[in-house]
Parts: sequence; C-alpha cells; structure tokens
Amino acid sequence: MRRRVVLSMIAALLAASPLHAQTGQITGSVSSADGGRPLPGATVSVLGSSLRVATGPDGRYTLRGVSAGPHQVNATVLGHGPLTQPVNVAAGQSVELNFVLQPASVSVQGVVAIGYGGTRLRDRTGSVQAVTPEQFNPGRVVSPEQLITAKVPGVQVVDSNEPGGGISIRIRGGTSVSSSNEPLFVVDNVPLPVGGGISAGRNPLNFLNPQDIESVTVLKDASATAIYGSRGANGVIIITTKQGTRGPAVEYTTDVSTSSADRLPSLLSASQFRAAVQQYAPENMGKLGNAATDWQDAVIRNAIGQEHSLGISGAGQAANYRLSLGYLDQQGIVRDSRTKRVTGSLNYNQRLFRDHLNLRGSILGARNTDQFTPGGVIGEATSMAPTQAITLPSGSYFEWTDPLGTNNPIQELSLISDQGTTYRSVGNIEAQYRLPFMEALTATVRAGYDLTSVTRTIFQPSTLQSQVESGTGGSLERRNPSATNTVLDAFAHYAKPITRWDSDIDVTAGYSFEQGRNEFPTFIAQGLSSDLLGPNGVPAAKVQQEFLSINENRLISGFARMNYSLKDRYLLTLSVRRDGSSRFSPNNQWGTFPAAAFAWRVSEEPFFAKANKLFPDLKLRASWGVNGNQSFGDYLYLSNYVIGTNLAQVQFGNDWVSTIRPSAYDPNLRWEQTTSWNLGADYGLGSRVTGTIDYYVKNTKDLIFTVPVAAGTNLSNYVTTNIGSMRNVGLELGLNARVLDGGRHGLSYEASFNAATNRNQLLTINPSAAGSQQILTGGISGAVGNNIQVLEPGFPVNSFLVYRQKYSNGKPVYSDNDADMYVDVNGDGVINQDDRVPFHSPQPRWILSHTSNFAWRKADLGFTLRSYLGNYVYNNVASNLGHYDALKGAAPANLQTSVLTTGFVKPQYFSDYYVENASFLRMDNITLGYTFQPRRGVQRVRVFGTVQNVFTITGYSGVDPTAGLNGIDNNIYPRSRTLTTGVNVGF
Amino acid sequence: MYRKACTTVAAAALLLVGAAGCTDVTLEPKSTVTGANVFNDPASYREFLAKLYGGLSVSGQQGPAGQGDISGIDEGFSQYMRLYWEMEELPTDEAVIAWNDAGSQELNTQLWGSSNQFLTAMYSRVYYQVGLANEFLRETTDAKLSARGVTPELAAQIKQYRAEARFLRALSYWHGIDLFGDIPLVTDADELTATPPKQASRADVYNFIVTELNAIMPDLAAPRAGEYGRADQGAALMLLAKVQMNAQVYVGQNHYSDARAALETLIASGRYTLDPSFRHLFQADNNTSPELIFTVPQDGLHTQSYGNTTFIIHAEVGGGMNAGDFGIEGGWYGLRVRPEVYALFTGGDPRGLFFTNGQTVSIDNLTDFNQGVAVAKYSNKTSGGATGSNPAFPDTDYPMFRLGDAYLMYAECVLRGGGGSQGLALQYVNDLRTRAWGSTAGNITAGQLTLDFLRDERARELLWEGTRRTDLIRFGDYTSAGVWQWKGGVKSGKATESFRNLYPLPSAELLANPNLKQNAGY
Repeated sequence: MRRRVVLSMIAALLAASPLHAQTGQITGSVSSADGGRPLPGATVSVLGSSLRVATGPDGRYTLRGVSAGPHQVNATVLGHGPLTQPVNVAAGQSVELNFVLQPASVSVQGVVAIGYGGTRLRDRTGSVQAVTPEQFNPGRVVSPEQLITAKVPGVQVVDSNEPGGGISIRIRGGTSVSSSNEPLFVVDNVPLPVGGGISAGRNPLNFLNPQDIESVTVLKDASATAIYGSRGANGVIIITTKQGTRGPAVEYTTDVSTSSADRLPSLLSASQFRAAVQQYAPENMGKLGNAATDWQDAVIRNAIGQEHSLGISGAGQAANYRLSLGYLDQQGIVRDSRTKRVTGSLNYNQRLFRDHLNLRGSILGARNTDQFTPGGVIGEATSMAPTQAITLPSGSYFEWTDPLGTNNPIQELSLISDQGTTYRSVGNIEAQYRLPFMEALTATVRAGYDLTSVTRTIFQPSTLQSQVESGTGGSLERRNPSATNTVLDAFAHYAKPITRWDSDIDVTAGYSFEQGRNEFPTFIAQGLSSDLLGPNGVPAAKVQQEFLSINENRLISGFARMNYSLKDRYLLTLSVRRDGSSRFSPNNQWGTFPAAAFAWRVSEEPFFAKANKLFPDLKLRASWGVNGNQSFGDYLYLSNYVIGTNLAQVQFGNDWVSTIRPSAYDPNLRWEQTTSWNLGADYGLGSRVTGTIDYYVKNTKDLIFTVPVAAGTNLSNYVTTNIGSMRNVGLELGLNARVLDGGRHGLSYEASFNAATNRNQLLTINPSAAGSQQILTGGISGAVGNNIQVLEPGFPVNSFLVYRQKYSNGKPVYSDNDADMYVDVNGDGVINQDDRVPFHSPQPRWILSHTSNFAWRKADLGFTLRSYLGNYVYNNVASNLGHYDALKGAAPANLQTSVLTTGFVKPQYFSDYYVENASFLRMDNITLGYTFQPRRGVQRVRVFGTVQNVFTITGYSGVDPTAGLNGIDNNIYPRSRTLTTGVNVGF
Repeated sequence: MYRKACTTVAAAALLLVGAAGCTDVTLEPKSTVTGANVFNDPASYREFLAKLYGGLSVSGQQGPAGQGDISGIDEGFSQYMRLYWEMEELPTDEAVIAWNDAGSQELNTQLWGSSNQFLTAMYSRVYYQVGLANEFLRETTDAKLSARGVTPELAAQIKQYRAEARFLRALSYWHGIDLFGDIPLVTDADELTATPPKQASRADVYNFIVTELNAIMPDLAAPRAGEYGRADQGAALMLLAKVQMNAQVYVGQNHYSDARAALETLIASGRYTLDPSFRHLFQADNNTSPELIFTVPQDGLHTQSYGNTTFIIHAEVGGGMNAGDFGIEGGWYGLRVRPEVYALFTGGDPRGLFFTNGQTVSIDNLTDFNQGVAVAKYSNKTSGGATGSNPAFPDTDYPMFRLGDAYLMYAECVLRGGGGSQGLALQYVNDLRTRAWGSTAGNITAGQLTLDFLRDERARELLWEGTRRTDLIRFGDYTSAGVWQWKGGVKSGKATESFRNLYPLPSAELLANPNLKQNAGY
C-alpha cells in the first residue's frame, strides 16, 4: 500500500511544475462512497506544492493560488482510503474537482497506527512499519507473531517449533536482563500485560485468529514508542483487527495441513551402541536387550491439522460491522501435543449525529484447548538405549530397574494426561465525538478489558514409572490462574491546517488508567488412593498442597503528542508520557518519558528537483527519546515476608512450625531507562524501488537487575536493584522492488529484502565493583545446576562461558588430565572454573530476509527466505550424551554421534567444541495460488498450497539452528515441515 | 437529537474528569506480608525464629525446592548443611564425589578456583544466616517490642529466641572463619545499607563468637530442657569448645584449657549419654537418641530439601547397593571413601559401615561410582527397621554435635596440654570403642592414646560427620602434609600448598565488596 502512495507522489512530482506565475483555484467536495455523505476534516492537497486545505462541515473545500497547468490533487481522511486525481488549472479560473473516497480500515489507507491515533506513512517521523495481510506469512500460522517473521528489519521472531508454542520477539535487541525484553502488545487499543498475558502453557496471543488481523504495526524507535512511555523500551506491536468495509460480504477460508519432522538428533544406532558398550562398559552388556528400537521414530508422528475461518461483514450509511468465527485443530509432530482453538469476534462501528459521534466496539473471544507432550518425552527418546524394546513380551513397558535410568517415553505418553484450557476475551468500546462548534477537536473515551481464565491439569497415575520410583504414588496438579485487566483512555485530538504559515498541526493529549489483577490458585495432591478418577477428581490423597497468590498492579498516565509540519516538508513530532506505576515506592512511582523526532522531506525542496528523477522521494529522519521498562514483579520495593509451605517447616519439639522469611529488597527501586537515537531515511529510487535505512543507538541505564550484593548488606546474596547499563547499536535496511509490473506478458514480480544487524553489549553490572563481575546464566542438562552462559561487562548478554578446547588435527584433544585438553587461561597451572572465558553469543550478527511474489494471470507464487549470520548455539544433546561414561552406571544411555569424533570418555560440558556456529539459510515458506471467479455471485475463489520450512542450509549439527532465543539446544521440540492446502472463497 | 448529543458529551466529560482525578498509584500487596504488619501477629516471632533454623535445614520457602533463599546456584546445591558437608569432607581423605557438576571435581582434588560455585554459595549461606539473625535481633529490641505492646509472657520467650538467634549467628561465623579466614563482621548494630562492610580479622570474629556464646548462655534453655531441634546450653558449650579448640589455627593462641572446661561443663550436666547403638545415631529415628546435642532436623513430610541428609543418604547409595535397604527410592551414585581412610578400619572396626561388593578400593576414575569403597552409614530406616515417612526425603536428622565427638575432643584437649584428666580421656575413648565392639575387645591402652591415634580415631568414629577438614588442619595434615589419592589432582596424591588450608574468598564477593582482600596464595 505504501507503494501506491509513493507512486502517486512520484507521478505528482513529475507532473508538477511549480514555476508558472499565474494561478487559479480548485474547489469541490469530498464525500464517502458509503452513501455519499460529506466528509468534513479531510485534507486536500496539491501534490508537489505546499498547498493544502481541510474540508468544512459540508465536506467542501477551496484551494486558492494554484499555479496554472496540470496537477495531481490528493484527498485523505481517516477511515477512508486516499484518492489522487488529475486536474488542469487555468490561470484566473476556478475548476471543480470532487472526491469520492472508499471507506477503509486503518492500514489500507497508507495510515499506520501509532498509538492513540494514526499517522499517514508519508508524515511519519519515527521508525514505524505496518505489515498487512498480503505480506503476512502464509501456511499454518497458529500465533499472530509468526505472521511477521522475516517481514520487518530489526524484528527477530523466535518460535519454539511446537504448534502454538511460546514465541519471543526482540525488537532491536534486548534492553534488559532481569525484566522482560518482550515488546508491548496492543490489541485493538487494549495494551496486553507483559509477554502478552497468561495462558495454560502456550503462547498467550493464541487467542487471536490470524484471519481476523488487519494489520500488525511495529513501533521501533523511541519517538514512536514514547507514547507508551514506561513500557516502550522493547518496542510496541499494535495489532488491529478487521472491520467491515463494504456491503454484505462473506469470506470463508479452509485448509488442511500435514507436518513431518525436519531434523532429529543424531544418535548411535542399535549396533553402534552395542559395540560402544562392549568396548567402554562391558559390565553392562548383560543389560542391553536384543531389540533395535528407533525411539525417536516412536515418539514422532506425521501431524495433521485443519482450519476454518468465516467472516461476515457489512457496511452501510452509518454503520459497519464484521463478525467472524474460526476453528483450528493442529497436532504437533511429537505425539500428544495438540492445540485447538475456537474464536469469535465482533467489530461494530456506528456513526451518529451527522457523523459527529462515532461509536465503536470490538470483542474478541477464544477458547484454546491445549494438550501437552509430557515434559521428559523428547529427552527420553534421545537417551533411551536403542537395544531395548518398547514393550516386553509380557506386554508391559520396558523400564530400567534403577531410578536413574531413562524412563520409557512411550509409557509416559500413554499414562500422563496434561491438558490446558484458556478462555480469553479482549474487547473495547469507544466513543469519539467531534465537537460541532469546533470541528478540529475530537474527544475520545474508550474502555477496554482483557479477561483470561486458565485451567491446567496434569495427572500422573501411581503406575507411572517415575511415580513408582519416587514413591509419590500418583499425583494430580491443577492450576487455575486468571487475569483481569482493564483500561480506560480519554484523550482529545486537535488537527488544523494553519494556512497562513503553510503548516499543519495536530495535537493529541489524554489520560490513561490501567489496572490488572492476577490470581494464581493451585492445588497439588500426591499419593492418590486411586487412579480411577484420573484428572477429574481427587480421591483421598496422602499429601495435599494448596497455593493462592494474588497480585495487582496499576498504571496511571498522562500523555501528549504534537505533530507539526511546515510546507509539508519539515515535520516535527514531540511526545511525552508521564506514568505512575504501582511497582515502585511512592517516592519513585512517577516517571516522565519524552521524545522528539524531526523529518525532512528533501525531495520536496526546489533544489532537489534535478535529482527527483533518480530519487522521486527522499525523507531524512532523526529521533531521540527516553523509554522505560517496568515488566517485572509487583511489590519488589517492599520488604516482603514470604510464608513457607508445609514442606519447608521446622521442627520445634513435637511441633512443625511454618516459617516466615524476609526477602532481600531495594526500597529505592525505580524505572529502567532506555535513551535511544535513531537516524533514518525513506527513499524512492527510480520508479520501482523504495527503501528505508535506519541506524540506532539504544543506551539503557539503571537496569533492573538481580545482582550479587556484598555479603552482609542485604537479606540475601542477590537483590533486585537498579544497577548496570547496556547498549544496543544497529543498522536496518529495507528494500522493496517492483521488478515486473504486468506489462506485455502479464507477469508481475515484486521482491523485498531486509537486513538488520544489532550489537548488544552489557556495559556494566555494578559500576562500583572492583572488577568485571560475572553472573552465570543458561542452565544446561547433564549434571545439576551447570550453567553455560554468562553476563559479563564488555560482552553480549548470555555469551557462552567455556574452556578453550585444544585441538589436534581438527579434533578436540581428549585426556584424563584437564591441563592437556584445555587452555590454562589464567596461567595458574590449574584448570578450574576460573579458566572459563566468554566465547560468542546466541545473538545473530545479521538477520537477512527476502520475499518474492510473482503473479501471472490468475496464478501467484511467493516465497520467503531467512538467514541468520554469526549466531552460535550450544549443542547440549551432544555435550550431554557425547561421552562414553554415559554407557556406565545402572542404565546405559544412548550416545550422540559426536562421541565418534571426540572420543570423550568423561563429559566435557564446558568445552567450546559444543558452541557451534549456527548460521543458516532457510526457506521459511513457499506458496502457490490460483484465483478465479467460477460464476456470478461468487466474488472470488482462491486455491492455494503452501510448504513451510522448505529447506535449511546450515553447518550446525543439532536439531535446529534457531534453537530458542538463548541458543541452547537441549532436546528442543523438532522443527516441522508443513504442507498446507486450502481454499478461500469470497461472496 | 441535539440534547442527546449534549448528554453524551457531558457524560464523556464527566468520565474524563472522574478518571483524571484518579492519580493514586499505590497498591498494597495481597498475598505477601510486609515488614510493616508482620509482627501484628505475635506468632510471627516464633515463625521468624523457625526460619533461622530453617536456614540450616531447607533451601527455600517452598520445599523441597522453590522460593530459594539464595541465588546463583541450583537451589538443591544451595542447602546449608550440604554445602558445609562438602566443604569439610570432599577435599579430605574421607570422601570423593563422582559427579560432573561444575566445580565438584575441584573439591575432590583441592584445586578449586575462587569462582567455584560451591564455596561461593557456602560463603553466601554463612552471611544469609548472619543477615537473618541480625534482622531478627533488630526487630526484637526492647524498644520495638514495647512499642508493639508485646505481652510480658511473649517478651520472656523472645528473650530466649534472641539468644538462639545469636547462637545461630555465632555458629555460622565459626563456619565462616574456619573456611574463609578474615571475613567481615556484621552485627545487628549495623543497619541494612548498600555500603559494603569492612573486612574484619579472623581474631576479631573469633573474639566475637566467644564473647557472644558466653553472653547468651544464661538465656538459653538448660541442656535437653527445651524443645527438640532448638539450641540449648549444651549446643552453645559444644560450639564454644569447637571454636576454642581450634584457636591455635584461628588466632595462634592455645585455648585447649578453655575448650576442655566447656566440655567438662557439658558432660557434667549429665543430660547426655552414649547411644547404646552406634547406628541409631544416623537412622530415621535418631531424634530419640540420648547422645545428640544439636541436630538439624529433617522430616520426610514436613521438612524437605535436596540437601542435609537427603543429600548424604542418596549420594552414598549406588552400584550394587539396594536403595530399599536405606529406606530410599534410589541412589544418586555419588560418594565413596578414599583408600587411605578405608585402611584405618582394617582389623574389623565395627564402626566401618562399608559396602564393598562391586566396589574397588583404589580409585582410578573419580567419576566412576564403582571405584572407591561405598559407605552405608546414614540411612532412612529406623532402628526398628521401618522405612522413614517418605523414601524421597529421609527423616534422618543431621547429627551436628554429639557426645561421642565431645569425648574425643576432651581427650584431645587433655593430650594437647589443656589440663583435665588423662584417665578420663582414656576412659572416654574406650567408652566409644566399647559401645562399638559391644565389649572391651577393641579398647586401647594408655600408651596407645596419642595425638596421631586420635587423628585416626576421629576418622573412625566421626567418618562423614562433617568435621574432617577442620580436624586435619588442626593436626597439620591437610595440605603440605598428608597424602591421599587424587589430592592435588594426581592419582597417587601429592602435597598441596598450605594456603589451601583456607578457601579463597569468592571472586564474586571480592568484586561486590572492594574492601575485601583475597586470602594469600589465591
């Protein structure tokens, strides 16, 4: 859509000829195609000049002083698509030019949502990008974040491969360590809680049906996000749902999909395993069994899925609506994982009192039913000895007699029940009133809510091997978290051209009140007298534990934003938000977050005229702003006494006393502050290419950071306080090219390229510390409590902390003596924990992506490629199972094939050998469609087929080079390749 | 129509004004108790005191894990007695551990660095106890109690609570100077502040401990007169003796006579007798033993953690041992003894509760559980043979101080010139051997009672009771003298540098507190 605007601008620029001395005038009306009602407040401008005017209450306008000759005239108004028409003005004459605008929802008109209003793309001063349905990723998309993977430079979307599984988003790198780094999500004007809210265990945003989404807008720089103040530091993602735009219309989409595993861990075969045991643990030969079982294959399946989506919409004289229903059922490729969703949504918009009052309401509702693979199954399928059969001749499942042995994953799949249900509704109602006596002023009041109710039930019968081993005797755990969030916004918007100064000004100012309440009741019953009730009831239980915790938070804000544009060429945005948060003590609870941005449309300058052919559009942008981050726990500034449970009691005589514990705290806790700079340019190159460049620096100080404190100064060894600083520096490039535009052969081809790099560096942890502190992070499996990553000043967050392995002939050296294997970094003659050093990080140096779209007659073909360069992954499956000692002990475990190269006998968890370069090139999706009109009454039919995760080229040896955000590949859910075929019908 | 519009505008304006009027952001917590109101409930004092004891027995507020007390380490690893036991046993001839948890093997060989996670967590645990005790003392001053209108009965109880808090603080300070040397001395006179404390000398802290123990003695319950699990005068006397007995190491002064005097008072109380059954001291019902002076109670249903005896009993079981025989659900394949200590039991000392089947004596591979003789000393079976209340979390209480140890300490003080009776010293040693053998068959003669004998006898009587490192340092056989397998990182073992008598101050602590000076050698 942006392209259309740019093109019309180009056309206008070429047509404009500002040198004529004599002038005439243009007059006319602007009305809506929807019933022909007049549109007051629309902006009518002569492209290529500074002439602009707003329509009056009757929708009429007059532009005076228009130079004689041909012009392109543009009319825009919120709620309708823009229109540009040619006109020929004769000197001294008046010419009539009327505009009939099509009603449209926000994104279709080149207007992007920026929070408490929208802006024309053309006028934006900050770094903002909207992604619309035609750009969305196709195929089986369960979560809305996946729609924009690889579509916006600087936005990293990391999924968990599980259908509907948790997703992390990093916009321009993370700015925090202990607080959340997820962006703020705003759905239909309702800000969601940190991370999107609560759920039964999968992505909380799954309540949204991607088919209902009209646009996903990403606010990246501080000037754009400052209007969200204390929550803007990690960017803002505004999701807007579809509205009715035209007469009664029905749209139905259905598809079916089948998924298979892409790559699985590389393990020894049964015969290799037997040979290894013979050589390294001959005492265990008698335990091996005679089977050749592929445990991976036993827990992996071809998964199927289906989706149905029905949208009914309509638009009339004074109202429009859209009603939708959706159904999704998607299995995961690991047995027992599945997600089902039923969604309904209603958007209604009513205009009253000659369009002075606009009432809007939207309600989204969903029920997500999730089935989870029991936690251990994937790892057990990796480490279970391949020489054991799944079932014994007796029909019972094979299990090792020793509790340390791997449990049979098939038994777990058959016995454990782990289900979750999430009900969620998000809605808001809005009244927008344009004052009859002051048309430029609009007052808006809206109230929104976000309600979630979750049930997660995990039942493990007493016959389950792990229950037998622990003596627990069956357990039932049921968690019922619920969340209620409400928001009230009241703001006024004033917009008026100041013709005397050839300027436009618009001001938004308002007040916002948000309150949230979460309740977390849980009960756990263990030692069940019977398994008969399963997850549905509690028989007599030996141990019963109940938990209830309630927390509340509140955010009260005042905000203001002013856009000023001079000669349609110099654009200035100033914004400020003042937030008060319940998460801080009364001394620190208010914070102010200012921002400023300036943009210069160079291509409008007379002196640039000669370059206009090459650069029909060029805008330079600069912005500065301060954002906050308060996404962490409530009440941390208070001295809390935590009451112990009845499993942590202390014996006094014959009494067991529950304990109370004062927690470490910092009463002076305050906001985390990120100050950002952004320099950018939007440009059109020739007639077919548009692009953006952005360079940014984000400095975060007063990190809310849980750090070690000097012993004796607080009530624990770590305290959450404001300390330390971090920097992100990055460059983003976006390029869109209309390579072929139909032409003689009817073939059109559009291509887009994105590239982004971000360098994250932790600058300080404790500035008053005597040296460079290290905080270990990144827990791995293999032994207990081992951490592979570190927070250390001067290095990216979560850099790997490893021994420098010595290599010989390309192979790691192995020896009983650590000194032969590893470099003695500190030269003290001893290899110990002090010799581990930071080494690479999981964050990619570059994220590249490319999208191609071909259309030829009724057929279309599109694909998306994505690449990371310079990201590193720790292969935990290899480090945990890549040593021959795993064959020893009571229950030999299968080995990862790296052991054949390394020959490691003892585990070497901290060798840099396992930190692998995981750069990759992946075709995320390819889709082929065919659109036709079978008969009258049917507007269109599109049949399509999509393959997701077509191929991945990488040197990484594990399951998936996008192994989560933290770069630790520890029996992660395997990635699936999915084929989806479907049909979309519009009536 | 117009009137309606007006109404709407008015309503909207009212909403605006009403909403804008709400600017109060503060919300009081719902499900946690704050410092401001916690002592509105008089039971809080007892519950806070319980937490001071809980700092020794559990790792957090949830049990067995969750809401951990300290951070930066796996919560199970962070349990006080587990860390202390590892610090005292793993670097010595008494024990090795098979695991590959970061830093574990460094403890086997004495080759730790200052970032070792176990010694770092031990240091944190010491100051966690100190910090909680200080907070308790600050919250229970006479001024605060009277301001809160505490009843005289409760005030009298709180007086005893305060003495116990000071005992627990002294106990941890003793661990602190024993393991780390010169450390900061932070008391209830210091407020919580962001300013790092100054380093005190080992002597300063030593004097503080001795002064404190003497000061609180009258406020504590008489030996075995109070509730089980709580520190009484017996515990304080034993701690005093332990500290003074090592004064030569800590402050270069001879206080054997003071230690001997404390032990005499303790024994003379007559409230403790040797348990007829040696095994009973380490079993699930050991809370009934008349020999125990101070324990860290654990209970399968009420007091759960992955440390304390849960750790010792699980970690000692593996290989061919039947977990059910120990009252647990499965072993963790961790701990064995080194051959040098195993050799001390030759000749059939009945206290050698070993498991040899499938185990080698010599250790080629530290991480192989089958190498090194296994130990069957601690158990979750009761003396009657029943399994404890929960096979995953034993009922066995950690026997921190017991009369048997006091007897050997007395004998050693006498031999080191601390006065007392030579005859009584021999009698005490033989009392223990008679209990072990069930007869006088194992008794020794006065001529056999030497310091070298006592060093070895302590290993035989107190194997794996968390006292070995301190003992060896007192005898001068821990680093530059004394050789056992894998000491110094070589299989045959070698002497290590004497600076390793102290652990290094944790590197994280040195960074967080620039006032600290690292121990020599590190």
